[in-house]
Amino acid sequence: MTDTNRKIQELLIDYAAALRDGCVPIFLKSLTRQEGQMIASSSEFWDAADIVRILNDVGFADKAVTADVGLFASRVDANVVSRLKKAKTSSRGKRSTGAKSITKTQKNEKPI
Amino acid sequence: MNRQLRNALKGITAPDAERRRRAMEPFVRATFESFIRYLYRYLGNEVECEDVLEDVYADIWESPERLCSVASERELLKTVYLYYMRKRLREVYRRINRHLYLSQKDLKNLIAPDLSILEVMSRTELQQALRRALVRLKARERRAIELWMEGMSSRAIANELKTTVGAVKMLKFRTILKLKKMLNEYCHEG
Repeated sequence: MTDTNRKIQELLIDYAAALRDGCVPIFLKSLTRQEGQMIASSSEFWDAADIVRILNDVGFADKAVTADVGLFASRVDANVVSRLKKAKTSSRGKRSTGAKSITKTQKNEKPI
Repeated sequence: MNRQLRNALKGITAPDAERRRRAMEPFVRATFESFIRYLYRYLGNEVECEDVLEDVYADIWESPERLCSVASERELLKTVYLYYMRKRLREVYRRINRHLYLSQKDLKNLIAPDLSILEVMSRTELQQALRRALVRLKARERRAIELWMEGMSSRAIANELKTTVGAVKMLKFRTILKLKKMLNEYCHEG
């Protein structure tokens, strides 16, 4: 991917290799301005990219299926719990700031 | 849709947040494989897939309304992609986008594209269609694709086919376009 001024077929093959090898960011960073424009204007690239993704799924997606789904489920649960806590804290924060403002106004009120 | 998934979906769309949390584990077990495979199609990296999927499940827990009327597995995958995965996929490379020469729109189309007919096909259907299409290719074209699917680099394929790297890249590009045409024909026949 160190080539500069790659042709559209080379760009597609490099994208396919990056997708297969799990390094899409490296491919994205390797693009020059001219190559970026070439990709944007090439309908052939977008057509071929569809198939490259499908080949990636059919040929290599098995790698992503981890044996321990239980462990992953506990990660998801931890994420959910942290969101729950965040929601509770923010609602409590709102309530407490509301209370403060009441006491402030009470303090500021002059006794009749 | 199997019974396990139907029950998990029922739990995940309940109004009570705690009940939804309890229903998350069976839902993850029932859907993990299909969801992670689908994400792998766009990212090609198992670590990134897991990170994105974790957030996708948490998003589903937070606002499951879109899944209330889902009736089949295919519809579930489509809905989850459109309303939950796509948003997360677009965020994956947003940080590096500042230094890229690819426009925001093109990056979105590359990483999280709109769904085409091919992308809503099930894995089994895709495998079947690909097998049929591969048989119709010329021997040299088929060999190039097969070697690439085995994990070979363009240089290694060029050595195997006794040609240049440039010729292999051109051959693969043309073959991929040919495959696209064949798969489109398959979809229209279907």
